[in-house]
Amino acid sequence: MTAEKMGEISTRLRAIFALASVAFVAVLAVSPVKDFFQSWKRYEKDYVSYAQTRPDTKRLLADFHPGIDQIWLPEMRVLDRCTTCHQGISQASLRDASVPQPFRAHPAIPHDVKKWGCVICHRGQGPATETSEAHETTLAWEQPLLPIRFIQASCGMCHRADLPQTPKLNRGRELLSQLNCGGCHHLQDIERSAMLGPDLSNVGNKLMRQWIYKWLKEPHTVVDSSGNTVVDGYEMEEEPRMPQFRLTDQEIKALSAYLTTLKGQPIEPFKFDQSVVASLQKSADLADQGEVRFRQMFCTTCHSLAVTQGDETKLIGGDIGPELTKVGSKVNPDWLVAWLRDPQSYLSHALMPRYRWSDQDLYKVTQYINTRLTDPDLLSNVPPLEEPTQEEIRLGQRLFLEKGCASCHVIQGVSPQKDFGPDLAILGSKNVSQLEFGNSNIPRNLISYIQAKITDPLSVNPAARMPQYRLTPTDLDAITTALLSMTGSPANSSLARLVVPRPESAFRPAGAFGELYDRYKCAVCHRFNGDGGNLAPDLSFEGSRAQLQWIAGFLKNPETLRPTLIFRMPQFNITDQEASVIADYLGMVTQSPSVKLSAVDQKQFTPQMAEMGKQLYEVKYQCNACHTIGSAGGYVGPNLSNAGNWLNAAWIEEWLRDPQALVPGTIEPRRSLTDQEVQALTAYVLTLKQKAPPLTTSSAGTKAGGAQ
Amino acid sequence: MNTMTFEEILNRLRATRAWRSIFRRGPARTNRTRSLAIFGNVFLHLLPVKVREQSLRVRATYYLGTISFFMFVVLTLTGILLMFYYHPAVPQAYLDMKDLRFVVSNGVFLRNLHRVAAHVMVIAVFWHMFHVFYRGGYRPPHEFNWAVGVMLLLLTLLLSYTGYLLPWDQLAFWAITVGTNILSAAPFFGSQLRYLLLGGNLVGENALLRFYVLHCVILPLVAALLIGVHFWRIRKDGGLTLREDYERDKK
Repeated sequence: MTAEKMGEISTRLRAIFALASVAFVAVLAVSPVKDFFQSWKRYEKDYVSYAQTRPDTKRLLADFHPGIDQIWLPEMRVLDRCTTCHQGISQASLRDASVPQPFRAHPAIPHDVKKWGCVICHRGQGPATETSEAHETTLAWEQPLLPIRFIQASCGMCHRADLPQTPKLNRGRELLSQLNCGGCHHLQDIERSAMLGPDLSNVGNKLMRQWIYKWLKEPHTVVDSSGNTVVDGYEMEEEPRMPQFRLTDQEIKALSAYLTTLKGQPIEPFKFDQSVVASLQKSADLADQGEVRFRQMFCTTCHSLAVTQGDETKLIGGDIGPELTKVGSKVNPDWLVAWLRDPQSYLSHALMPRYRWSDQDLYKVTQYINTRLTDPDLLSNVPPLEEPTQEEIRLGQRLFLEKGCASCHVIQGVSPQKDFGPDLAILGSKNVSQLEFGNSNIPRNLISYIQAKITDPLSVNPAARMPQYRLTPTDLDAITTALLSMTGSPANSSLARLVVPRPESAFRPAGAFGELYDRYKCAVCHRFNGDGGNLAPDLSFEGSRAQLQWIAGFLKNPETLRPTLIFRMPQFNITDQEASVIADYLGMVTQSPSVKLSAVDQKQFTPQMAEMGKQLYEVKYQCNACHTIGSAGGYVGPNLSNAGNWLNAAWIEEWLRDPQALVPGTIEPRRSLTDQEVQALTAYVLTLKQKAPPLTTSSAGTKAGGAQ
Repeated sequence: MNTMTFEEILNRLRATRAWRSIFRRGPARTNRTRSLAIFGNVFLHLLPVKVREQSLRVRATYYLGTISFFMFVVLTLTGILLMFYYHPAVPQAYLDMKDLRFVVSNGVFLRNLHRVAAHVMVIAVFWHMFHVFYRGGYRPPHEFNWAVGVMLLLLTLLLSYTGYLLPWDQLAFWAITVGTNILSAAPFFGSQLRYLLLGGNLVGENALLRFYVLHCVILPLVAALLIGVHFWRIRKDGGLTLREDYERDKK
């Protein structure tokens, strides 16, 4: 190779080398420049200049440290760099809403932000120092920031019992159990209650097929959430407990056909005296006469009817029995007659009294119910239904299982279904990649998934069996909050230690009572020694309060002691033996240390004392303002008509002396009674005994009742 | 003050005792002493004394081997820097990725440089291999060096594979799970091999540690050794296989 040629090559090579070096340096410079202009540095600069505009500049700047700020809690595996930008997070003077984000301080909460970090509650990516990385779903981090309107879900992750500060979460949990979500889904800390829906074993006797059809098609047009008939003009606030299933008309026909075949023992139509019927049929005002009898018999003491006055429609009547406005469009006439004659033969635990009917009255009242207590519009869009074919019945039977009806309803011979739907106990910690959105075009995140699943399940899964729920936006958010709070036990053991579990009942009975306690889920509604539900009375000292015989009787026929309550104890069909096991156990174990049953001898109460007590009750202390005896009195406290059979003498005495000591928080006032007055009042209350055993016609309001 | 040319300064320097003790030679004035200077230097002895003009052309090799080697150097350097920030432990490994992303100055650049260099190295090694193959570079006297090259290809792939687990994200976890499951389908010792590689039956803490040691110590050392042998054999086998040699041999 010649020297010139070598020189030529080397000059060219040098030029290339020089250019490549410059390009290389330029490329290398990109990274430090990007590093220099990171967004968090800008936020820190902005914070410093914002601090200058505040009155307490000096203190703000004293607390400010340039550079990356982080909350590092190795014990809890928290590494949150959120405070790098959210500099003012714990500055009380920056709590005002006028302070621009990201500098605003956190609202006051029971937890110290610096001791807990941010992402445990708010989710998002703690280690990130860029806004979008920290707040949003990215390829390398799936949990985005939890929108603030669902933030109470984070409280519920650790606090498994309801907190007074989390009304939305509590409401959501309440809805989950109210709407029977636990019938099909396994939910964290929400127990499956003992009775979800009515027993349908004999439903074919009672209901008309047209009504069943309507009910399956549009349940929300029939009843509201408390089970009352939807009356036109009646504002409907909540879903009925029975949701709307997506069924084709043919499927509804099949299901209604199947249900009408469930008869147990078929009803023999009652044969009216033909001469009575013939004479009554002539009178033009037959239904009016029936209405008069209906009113005269005080049916409305227990049952209510919708009455329209002017523009307003409201229910008038008692709520011990079911509301009857449209019952004529619902039940079979033959069943109605049989029911009125002898309710217990259809439902052995029915609360409805057995009246002594004359044929005339019975015919009049049933005519009234069948013609007046109806709503022709209710069933107007039900197509004509032919006799059910065998095929329809078989299809209906299959659908009953396939659609999950057996999760809530009992039919004799059909085994109940448990955990029919997916397990939702850890739904709140699911990542987006674990959810199936199908072809829907909703945003790809957990919240919109949950809400779509509730309000329009088909949109995310065309094969969904889940029924559709119509919830108000507030309730929908509440239920979403409750579901988001179900994140299971944290895998992180240090976080798991922080979980405040729902108080596990210290009351764990064993033996025969323990079995019954589990079966009937007593603790779902009742409290024992501070644990359990709030729906029904605290039974910690029930053995001191109530007489054993009364307890056993009550268990067999629960009656409402407080007429204003809507919720009633369900009728569990408890056997005599079970009732006595429960009563004996309660009598032995649930005793208050301050009530000495043996210390009070019933014989010491003389009629004179009782007479004096009556005076005190009626005149001096005016107890009847709140308590009812017979048909007179107030509705705030429990009905005392049968208190002599119900309460123990020692309990009454102790109660009169200091009610709050026995039941903390009771509204019964504490009067400073003398010992003599206490004894007199006790003597009087003990005389309050309804002579007849329950289930006969008796004073209004207390013993009557109905069960459907 | 006398002005001295650069050449004179260099020659003066080469005559000093320190220079002689380091390079074992004085000033190289003849071709012989020049070549001896190269032979006697541990870093330069791999280079041939004489180079044919053809082998200097870009088209002779496209510098594919050089690029592969250069990538290996880049990977070693960035890898050492990354080792300063990385703990091969389950709770920490992924958080270290986050730290590199969000806190370490130029951490993203460092990681990306390591990653991109790894991709380029794999591509360059394959290309190099195709090029050598189509040039007939596997034929005598180059058979042994071809075999060394094949081993280096395997090492490159293994380095890539073991490095893949270290970020400890879902991609890493499942890639290694799938990969080692394929391994367990190997005849006779499949599941034992898998157990050995993972240090257990699952991709977990032990697997992470094993892959870390393989990726950062064992495989790079073996690769460096074989690269040395590879370069040395090029010289001993008479230099590169050029297109001219190939055309001539074909006739």
